[in-house]
Amino acid sequence: MSNRILLVEDDEVMPKIMERILHKEEYKIEHVTNGKEAFQRLEDTNYDYDLIITDIMMPYASGFEILSKVKTRTNGKPIPVIIVSNAGNEEMILEGFKLGADDFLKKPVIPGELLIRVKRLLMQYGAR
Amino acid sequence: MEYSLYDFRGSSLNIQIAIIFIIIAVSFTVIAYLSILTGRYRAYKREKKLASLHPVIDNLLMEHILLNDELASDVPADQVALPIEVFRLPVFEHRWARQALIDRLIDYRNNVRGAMGEQLRNLYIQLELDKDSLKKMKSRKWDKKVQALAELSNMNMSIADVTILPLTNSSNRELRAAARHAYIKLSKNEPFKFFDVVTEPLLMWDQVELFKIISTTEHIAIPNFAQWITYSSNKSIVSFCLKLVVHYNQISAIPAVVKLLDTKDRYLRADAINCLGKLKTESVEDKLLQMYDSQPLNCQLEILKAIGRISSGRHVDFLRQEFLHATDFDVRKHAAKSIINNQWAAKGLIDELVETATAENKLILKHSMNPLIKY
Repeated sequence: MSNRILLVEDDEVMPKIMERILHKEEYKIEHVTNGKEAFQRLEDTNYDYDLIITDIMMPYASGFEILSKVKTRTNGKPIPVIIVSNAGNEEMILEGFKLGADDFLKKPVIPGELLIRVKRLLMQYGAR
Repeated sequence: MEYSLYDFRGSSLNIQIAIIFIIIAVSFTVIAYLSILTGRYRAYKREKKLASLHPVIDNLLMEHILLNDELASDVPADQVALPIEVFRLPVFEHRWARQALIDRLIDYRNNVRGAMGEQLRNLYIQLELDKDSLKKMKSRKWDKKVQALAELSNMNMSIADVTILPLTNSSNRELRAAARHAYIKLSKNEPFKFFDVVTEPLLMWDQVELFKIISTTEHIAIPNFAQWITYSSNKSIVSFCLKLVVHYNQISAIPAVVKLLDTKDRYLRADAINCLGKLKTESVEDKLLQMYDSQPLNCQLEILKAIGRISSGRHVDFLRQEFLHATDFDVRKHAAKSIINNQWAAKGLIDELVETATAENKLILKHSMNPLIKY
């Protein structure tokens, strides 16, 4: 069974790149374009994702809000979260890790690096 | 009922003027509506064309760059042959399509780096898209030049100083900002060389923009800003360099900043004192105290702040005198803040002042002791 990844990104090009790279490794990618849709999708699927990759600055709700909600859940399996953002200043990175982010990648990313980090986290969290 | 030219001639002057005005207004309104409609139709057509072209470009870039196994391996980007021929589609003979390709390449480069980012740049060069950008640089329209500068800087292409330096001093704000941005990003050795050619004052907004560019651009060669502090005849450049000296904690520039204490320009002098305070230059404290009485208010305030920032504890008595006896409210406020900043050496004094000060001075002290208020 392939791993299910939720990609939250409002940029037009980045999701296309990630989808193609991750799809090559047979991960199942679901893409939403803003925080509100992400919350909706998480509720609808009862948080049935193996990994979440999110941007920070997005309409309706930021990546930090998604991260915070995912990491403060008391029931259900823990879900690793990777933040991918071009707003990678020191405060933001620290804030992300404080809220429980498992990894932080600054845009532009090296596709191979992203793939390795995704694989590592999925292995670490013992995904399906 | 018909209204003929004969009637128009026969009507009064007021009526004639009103009729002419109405005709002109209606004509202009119709022309305006037509131009809006034409513009929207063109934009719609352009969007439609782009909507069909973008998937083609995306597929090409994905297949031949991003999913290229050779690039994912350890082979250096410049040793991987690019399949240029597949990108030479007939549609790219059109200027709009080439522009769409440039824009898409920039979008991709903003998202991926490493070998793939390099290959996107190689593709831009090998398809001779850089020539399109350089052609835009020669355009008379400022917006085309801004577009070209953004493209060339995103693709990390060098631009001759003779072309870009005059633009860093342009009277057009957008163009000026784009040129400076590009220059800082592209000039490997002297990213601040344009400071030499700036003749107009660097407005506060320009300084904010420049600061944003400098702090967000990676791998800039940082020069010694003392050279402009010493030699520039543009006061705003000197003032900005003082801020950069603080930002980069450039201790080597301190002698040049100290020399600036003797300048006749009181605003520049205040900036220099501010800079020395932020650099915590203890050796200059005595000089600041010596010059204090002869200074205008803005410089006196900066001296008080500097003594607080340096916090050597040697001039607590001076601060006490100013706090208790100055008539100016701002002087008392900054003296109080600096006393609090020197509290490691003035604990007894602070307790004494809290006990004995006037009601207003107590309020100032209380305000200064609030750690939430930024000093």
